[in-house]
Amino acid sequence: MPLRSTDQGWGALARAFHWLIAVLIIAQGVIGLSMVQMGLTPAKVRVFALHKSIGLTILALVLLRIAWRLTEKHPADPPAMPCWQIRAAHATHLALYVLILAIPLSGWWFNSASNAPLVWFGWFDVPSLMHGLDPVWKPRALLLHQSLFWLLVVLLALHIGAALWHHFKQRDDVLRKMIVGTGEKTGGGR
Amino acid sequence: MTRMIVWVCMAAVLGFAAPALAKAWQVDPPHSSLTFTNTYQTVTYTGQFRRFNAVINYDPSDLAHAKFDVTIDITSLDTQNSERDHTALGTDFFDTAKFPKAHFITTAFRKAADGKIIADGVLTLRGISKPVALTVSFKPNGNTATLDVTAQVKRLDFGIGTGQWADPSMIGDGVTVHGHLSLKP
Repeated sequence: MPLRSTDQGWGALARAFHWLIAVLIIAQGVIGLSMVQMGLTPAKVRVFALHKSIGLTILALVLLRIAWRLTEKHPADPPAMPCWQIRAAHATHLALYVLILAIPLSGWWFNSASNAPLVWFGWFDVPSLMHGLDPVWKPRALLLHQSLFWLLVVLLALHIGAALWHHFKQRDDVLRKMIVGTGEKTGGGR
Repeated sequence: MTRMIVWVCMAAVLGFAAPALAKAWQVDPPHSSLTFTNTYQTVTYTGQFRRFNAVINYDPSDLAHAKFDVTIDITSLDTQNSERDHTALGTDFFDTAKFPKAHFITTAFRKAADGKIIADGVLTLRGISKPVALTVSFKPNGNTATLDVTAQVKRLDFGIGTGQWADPSMIGDGVTVHGHLSLKP
């Protein structure tokens, strides 16, 4: 199982980044939507702290994933794909990268403007992006954080929908390249 | 003769009612502050009470007649975090609906072994009165002076954030209170 991606499929590291970040984003969305409904108890404070820690983790993983991606090839698009689909796929992927960087950053910004603590899994303090409480930027940062999240939900629906469409309708190896890597047909064959 | 006795009695009563206090000072509010530090989720933060009233009688050479009498408007709490402030004023914490004010009054002044001046007193907070000692640093400057006092207070001693909020890794128990007063004659 090659670590690096080739034009035939995603390498083990790229796939590990993809699926780890995917799981964290889904968990993060569920936690984020649930925590705002909670009554004010120490549990709520802890769940908020968890949400912040996971968000910073996603931010760091996405930066590492982008840095890694810049050093390696990536799989070629299926030859039969029409031009508009290739453009749509590339635009969606770019937008996803922008969003999964911007959402944790806007959360960090909101937390900073709220002058709330930020401790990564209780291990170390993460600095504020602002100089203390900022009542002007605080609501703007929150609105941005929430709006970008819902935009991400829409784009993820497109992304997942397209992956399933490739796999089950087009019967190409786009999804397989991200699951098993090289896209080699493992047993059975199509 | 009767009138004479009345005058003597009045003088005696007034004498007892207003014992000789050390020099009285006026606090200059814009240049004075009452701040505290505590930890929230292990991160140190600073807060302040923007409104307080301090009656200060102090002369470093006459500690026997020194007196501090401070009333703090708890609703003027500001920790630069609106959610935290809102929560802190609620029933689980300061409960300002019932206890809007705190009060500190000195009972005696003494010189500690290391030469520092200590003011022993009683702090009444959230309806609970406990002894609290202030470390006093007084710096005269012409006819004005600055007075810095520091105290260590345990929030749980006063029932602030008990029960589910008692965990000190969430909110530290120890609170360092610092008063900085700019004094005028």
